[in-house]
Amino acid sequence: MTIIRLFAASAVMAGLAMASSAPTTAQEREIKLSGFGAMSGVVRSFGVNSKAALEAAADEINKAGGVKLGDGAKGKIVIEYFDDRCNAEEGISVTRRIASSPALVGIGPTCSNVAEPLFGILQKKAGDAGDSGLQFPIFTDVAIKGGLAQISEWAFRNVPNEGAMYASLFQWLKKTRPELKSLFGGVEEDFAHSRATWYAVMKEVAGKEGFEIKGEAKWLLADTNFTNQAREARRAAADIVAISAHPFTTCGMLKEMARQGVKPKLVIGLTSSSSLETLQGCAGEAEAIIIPTSFAPVTPEAQAAANNAAKFNGSLDLHSGAAYEIVAILKNVIESEGVLAKPDTVQADREKIRKGLAKLTETKGLMGVSKRTPDREAVKPFLFVHAKAGKWEVLHNPMN
Amino acid sequence: MLLVDLVQSIVDGLLFGATYALIGIGFTLVFGVMHKINMAYAAASIGGAYAALRIITLIAGPAWASLLIAALAGGLFGLLIYWLCFRFIPLSNSLATLMSTVGMFLLAEEIIVHATDGMPQNFPVVVRGILDIGEFMIRGDLVFVFVCALLAMVVLLYLLYRTKLGMATRAVSQQPIAAQLVGIRLSHINALTFIVTGMLGGFAGALIGSAVGLLSPLLVVPLTIKGLIVTVIGGLGSIPGAIIAGLLVGMAENVFQYFRGVTERDIYVMLLLFVFLVFRPGGIFSSTARRD
Amino acid sequence: MDFYLGLLQIMGVHTLLGLSAYVVLQTGQITLAQAGFMAIGAYAAAMLTVLAGWPLVVALVAGALVAGLMACLVGFPALRVHGLMLVVATIAFTEIVRLFFFNFDYQIARGSLQVGPLGGEGFRQIRYFPENGWTTMHVAVFIWIVVALVMAALWWMDRSRAGVVLRAVGEDEIAAQSCGINLTAVKVSAMTAGGAIAGLAGGIYAHYTTHIEQTNFTILVATFAIAYPILGGLSSVFGTLAAVVFIQGFLVEGLRFLGDWRNLLFGALIVLVMNVRPSGLLDARTTAMLRRLLGRKEG
Repeated sequence: MTIIRLFAASAVMAGLAMASSAPTTAQEREIKLSGFGAMSGVVRSFGVNSKAALEAAADEINKAGGVKLGDGAKGKIVIEYFDDRCNAEEGISVTRRIASSPALVGIGPTCSNVAEPLFGILQKKAGDAGDSGLQFPIFTDVAIKGGLAQISEWAFRNVPNEGAMYASLFQWLKKTRPELKSLFGGVEEDFAHSRATWYAVMKEVAGKEGFEIKGEAKWLLADTNFTNQAREARRAAADIVAISAHPFTTCGMLKEMARQGVKPKLVIGLTSSSSLETLQGCAGEAEAIIIPTSFAPVTPEAQAAANNAAKFNGSLDLHSGAAYEIVAILKNVIESEGVLAKPDTVQADREKIRKGLAKLTETKGLMGVSKRTPDREAVKPFLFVHAKAGKWEVLHNPMN
Repeated sequence: MLLVDLVQSIVDGLLFGATYALIGIGFTLVFGVMHKINMAYAAASIGGAYAALRIITLIAGPAWASLLIAALAGGLFGLLIYWLCFRFIPLSNSLATLMSTVGMFLLAEEIIVHATDGMPQNFPVVVRGILDIGEFMIRGDLVFVFVCALLAMVVLLYLLYRTKLGMATRAVSQQPIAAQLVGIRLSHINALTFIVTGMLGGFAGALIGSAVGLLSPLLVVPLTIKGLIVTVIGGLGSIPGAIIAGLLVGMAENVFQYFRGVTERDIYVMLLLFVFLVFRPGGIFSSTARRD
Repeated sequence: MDFYLGLLQIMGVHTLLGLSAYVVLQTGQITLAQAGFMAIGAYAAAMLTVLAGWPLVVALVAGALVAGLMACLVGFPALRVHGLMLVVATIAFTEIVRLFFFNFDYQIARGSLQVGPLGGEGFRQIRYFPENGWTTMHVAVFIWIVVALVMAALWWMDRSRAGVVLRAVGEDEIAAQSCGINLTAVKVSAMTAGGAIAGLAGGIYAHYTTHIEQTNFTILVATFAIAYPILGGLSSVFGTLAAVVFIQGFLVEGLRFLGDWRNLLFGALIVLVMNVRPSGLLDARTTAMLRRLLGRKEG
């Protein structure tokens, strides 16, 4: 019975592999871009929104005439999205699956704990014959843990540079709200992103700008009891409380602070928490929290993209917005590098895309122009939003 | 000042432990009667809370109604778990029921995630109010949870020791074959046990949601682990044991966190469990000796 | 092709994990500690190849030995508890190991970089395979040679007196004791063997994912470890293999075309399988039937 099951599974897999190459017209070829990310668990909304963003962006480009290929033919972008369940092994397996298909780029992952192992199996230096790593370009939209793209020359990221964002925020606060002098932090110790952003970014930058750092309270990402931590915040009596955590524990801490009557003059949040999740969980307690973000529907492109993504059942925020931008960036690279998108030029096309992405010094995004750094990261335009009456509103746009 | 903080930590921990006590009672009852582990218990309880939240939001009902609706939903889920995971699997096969409840747990969690896209949901507060006693602050809602745990204990002990249903349940728990011989329908009693513990679980889930203020799939695994630890420390099948163990674990957790920080806290809670397993394997209130 | 080889790698490591639980489950001890032993083997082997520059096979064996030693130490106190209490005790053990590595820093400088485990950040750049030119094919073949050796050893043990003794202890401890079987020796040996195999699985896991951290060794992983032998049936090592192929091949990869429904089906199918075949896919009857079909010529 197991042998039959094994056959059935192999047949299904083989059938899918064959079915995924749909026939195209002679004049229009398919450009396969495969996205992948978490569509299960607490982080499901990231995958759902990224998928919608990718499909919406592809739809927009295809409707506007598609992509011009190296030999003059027209190309149509086709998006396929895979669920990696925020699991390192599955993420690697999905990437190998995508790399075995005619896909030209992998767009993802959403989880940093998938990105790090995934980048590790890629070829470290492009063209290194002694390195048997995978030679497939990955362009990350969401996984934001610092410094990952330097792991491999095939890895590129379009994620916000938190150092720049918080530096700008603290500078602006120093100027516009001189009564704020001290800072107390709250940090999720077991989430790499939150932890790194407090210690290496918020604390550093605020200290440099002259704020007195009164300390930090720590918790774990699934904690529900913040009595000790809120009390520490109360004792510190700082002007600003900066919470470097994701929506679940941010809300928990804010609720406990409200209960204990801890009322700082200002609360600052983590970039990832400037999403619908925080408002769903604790719109009341989160009132007036300020968060720097790299997406808000304030430019015509951003507004149009947000409307577009909604048609595909997703919402655009700083994470899925990056996915939307990635499709446009890839279109430009495909056209400038003369990618052919023919079934026999797949590996050559991937190399061209890698070279093209590595060459970029700036890209056009939904909020303006983003710079690209030599270690394959992005420095994106940003603005500050605050929660007002259950919605995120733009507080200040440093670009103006 | 440090002493005040320490005492406050202890008090806060004890109060939070009331939530563990409430969920532990259900775990220990299921084990006490069926001698089977129900890994999906916490998931079903939180699921009941989610169902209550959905319904309350739909009908714009008052916060306290969420407790009732969650209890009803929990009872329903309990029956479902009994039917899908225990009814048709031979009672002697504990591995199979363990694995089926694991499958049920995974299914319940995925349903919750799909229904809410994994996002935390604000849960209405049922009881609010902080009591200020001098330097100390006591959370009124957690006191309410503790009172509910005591009430649940009284109700359940009454059910177990003063009603025919309770007598049948105890009979099934002690000697399933003899119980069948006197005409007690095993599947009937087991189903009723799951319904009652399910109702308690749903009630607990809603209270926990109200105390935390949020519902999230993140709640399920830690509650499952705490529930199991509380069951073991309190003594398998002992309701008063579950309550005391719940308070103890809650207090220990907060005190360890106060002294050693959050990254080492759980190591010490687990070591506390080991201390009990080594020196008092039967738990605080070991139940009367049963034939193995 | 690369994809199928990668899938074979994953199935291989998961088979090892399942086999590590198989050995222990046969003695009737329900253990959720295998993820803890896997973590110990993973960190140990990775530290040996990355920090001390040891060759892979030696490092893997060393990792397995460290994990096995730890399992032996855990096996003795585990004798005192049964049933649910053992489950909870092993859950606690896995959590302690995971939290230990959450707090564990050991970095040394390698040129301008710092390498080694860094607490919550994890242990990155375990690049033995790509740096030494191992292709996906090489790794897959290597993993399956290890799996085949372990399976052969366990299969042979099943057929020998040791296997009978293990199952006797699993069936009825009192009866086994009255036959003169030393319960302590049997249960601790099974735990040690299981721990060593799990350590081996962990060492390989560390090298083919290149980055390990405490969140890779949770109770969920330990639950999968016992799920494989329970779903596959405890009567034969091939049951565990069948369960791994079923879960990793069919449920995880084969059902991808179902999109969102795949995850819902996961839990539902496990419940279904346990109801329909409570003794596993390959229970004693099926094994006997297969043996007859494959023409075992009994003299």
